[in-house]
Amino acid sequence: MKNIFNSKNVRSLLRIVLALAIGLTFGFIITLIVSDEPIQAYQAFLFGPVSQLNRIGDWLEESLTLIFLGLAITIVFSAKQFYIGLEGQMILAAMATGTVAIYFPAPAIIRVPAAILAGMVVSVLWALIPAILKAYLGASELVTSLMFNTIALRLFQYLLRNFLQLPDTSGVMSERIPEDARLRTFIPNLPFLENIRNAWAKSTSVSWMVYVAIAAVGLAYIILYKTKFGYEIRAVGANEKFAKYGGINVKRTVVASILVSGIFAGLAGSHLVLAITERVVQGMAFGFGFEGINIAILSSNNPLAVPIASLFYGYLRVGSDVMERASDVSRELVFVVQAAVLLLLTAERLLPVVQQVVTTDEEEAAQLEKGSVK
Amino acid sequence: MTWNFVLRGIFSSFFLASVIRICTPIIFPSMGGLVAAAAGVSNMALEGIMLWGAFTGVFVSAYTGSVWLAVLAGCVVGILVALLLAVAHLRFGSDRFLAGLAVNLFSSGGTVFLMYSLIGEKGSTSTLASLSVPNVVIPVIHDIPVLGQILSGHPVFTYVAFLSVWLIYILMYRTRLGTHMRAVGENPAAATTLGINVHRVQYIALGISGLFAALGGMSLSMAYLQMFQREMAAGRGWIGIAAINLGALRPVPTLIAAMIFGFADALANQLGSLNIPSQLVQSIPYITTVVGMAVYSIQQRRAAIERRKRYASEHHEEMQEATKL
Repeated sequence: MKNIFNSKNVRSLLRIVLALAIGLTFGFIITLIVSDEPIQAYQAFLFGPVSQLNRIGDWLEESLTLIFLGLAITIVFSAKQFYIGLEGQMILAAMATGTVAIYFPAPAIIRVPAAILAGMVVSVLWALIPAILKAYLGASELVTSLMFNTIALRLFQYLLRNFLQLPDTSGVMSERIPEDARLRTFIPNLPFLENIRNAWAKSTSVSWMVYVAIAAVGLAYIILYKTKFGYEIRAVGANEKFAKYGGINVKRTVVASILVSGIFAGLAGSHLVLAITERVVQGMAFGFGFEGINIAILSSNNPLAVPIASLFYGYLRVGSDVMERASDVSRELVFVVQAAVLLLLTAERLLPVVQQVVTTDEEEAAQLEKGSVK
Repeated sequence: MTWNFVLRGIFSSFFLASVIRICTPIIFPSMGGLVAAAAGVSNMALEGIMLWGAFTGVFVSAYTGSVWLAVLAGCVVGILVALLLAVAHLRFGSDRFLAGLAVNLFSSGGTVFLMYSLIGEKGSTSTLASLSVPNVVIPVIHDIPVLGQILSGHPVFTYVAFLSVWLIYILMYRTRLGTHMRAVGENPAAATTLGINVHRVQYIALGISGLFAALGGMSLSMAYLQMFQREMAAGRGWIGIAAINLGALRPVPTLIAAMIFGFADALANQLGSLNIPSQLVQSIPYITTVVGMAVYSIQQRRAAIERRKRYASEHHEEMQEATKL
């Protein structure tokens, strides 16, 4: 038994599980303090997402967006770049994708790929200036990318109101994306699946983006661990000076890592507009700003763990939504829980303290592990 | 015609007064952040701490009816949040950037969460009767025609902000603690060998940064406006960090940088009356910040290249000797 707990992987997994448990407990304590019906509220928070079929669909859709965002941050964090401009990239990508999907006069089979491509291009281009400023001039990418987020939000509002706005509505939104460009359900059209397909499609709209997300996870893994470029990214992240000494073009690698992450941020935006909102609408990227960071940290920068982390945080997002509607507790609770988890996970020296606690009640920890990582 | 109006507006005493007022919530976080950065622990949570300061000020003033108690509470909360960051970073070894981002997430979510729990609103506390700090009329200057309009009659926070530049200068360059901070920031190992308690100095520096960031937040919610709004800091904490970079960790240049950003902010307000789309005008301060950082970085690079050249020309013979050996 002792040997298992000495293994690094087991220990870091336990550490993550424990951080999540503490975060959720912290959230519960806060709920106890502020709510008149805390048990009910927390029940909705923890079990809401699986209470109805359409909520399971929402959960999966949120998770897909989060997977793309998590992968994007995983790549930049691997190069130790604190680039966090995803929110801006994502929202502009959503707008580009939406615009092409609505107005590009071509059959759907061409229009949808073109729309997704447009999203990627916009997203990558939007990251270009902060990337170059960081790599070639040393300007803090953290500050510039945050500034670019705000600029992107303003630009989004301007373009939406002035060019895409649907007349005769009070809401700030574009036209709905035409039927043929909306994404179909991910369940293949096979005779023996027909019943499931119909039942599923009736209450959810989880689309074939599922397969794109799986492919993206594989792609990110291959980029980071099986290519020369990925090796360079990780070398720069491990030790910039050493990488430079080893003949790696550090500046180019920094720019490239940020731009490649832009592809994934673009996919997040495309997924958001094509599968979830189905139109360009104000506030569509609400609360996604930090999700990429949360997921990259929760998955220890490992692309293969990103889907698990995304499913977990997607679950909490939907849970908080259900909770807000069912009780007097606001959905922002989830951000507080996530912040606590983030703080605990980044606290490296907390591990030795935690280790003792873990070994005393390992059964409970194991149970929690099953519950949260399913 | 409209441009004429804008130009005349910019050079009016009214506009200069608005620059001074709008600078306040940028000067505070940049002065606080400067102390932390000088001690080698850049505070990446200024934005979030501003939110807590603004939030606490509004709610305490509304519930107790005392402005000064509210200011005190806001300061205490700001220091506490900064110390949370300090504990995570110094005691438990969190990465400075990530811990800062975590605190920001905690702040933007936590303030809205509490606002909803307390008054059932998510956008702002406009329904709450909170107080604002008094304006200060400077006796003699107030009666001087133009100068009086520019310098007198601002909220008390504005004067405290400019005073804080002087205070920070004294702290950094004229006190033992300030010398220790700069020593720690320059070289922690060397400071340790001199018997300086590095962590203690860094805890104090982060605490001070929290205090000033909270004042910045309160200058938004208790002077600039008289309520708390979600995400009220609107990037000013980050703009403050940019100002610190531009000011190269020195109080007066940092003040100048902060005032340039404040000018951009005031300009955006002024242009808002024109026929230019407001969303684009509102991004002026953020674009200015990015441009400022780029210009500064280019200048720094040039200076570094220049230094290297000068060194090479001055030490030409020595270097040749060295290569011979």
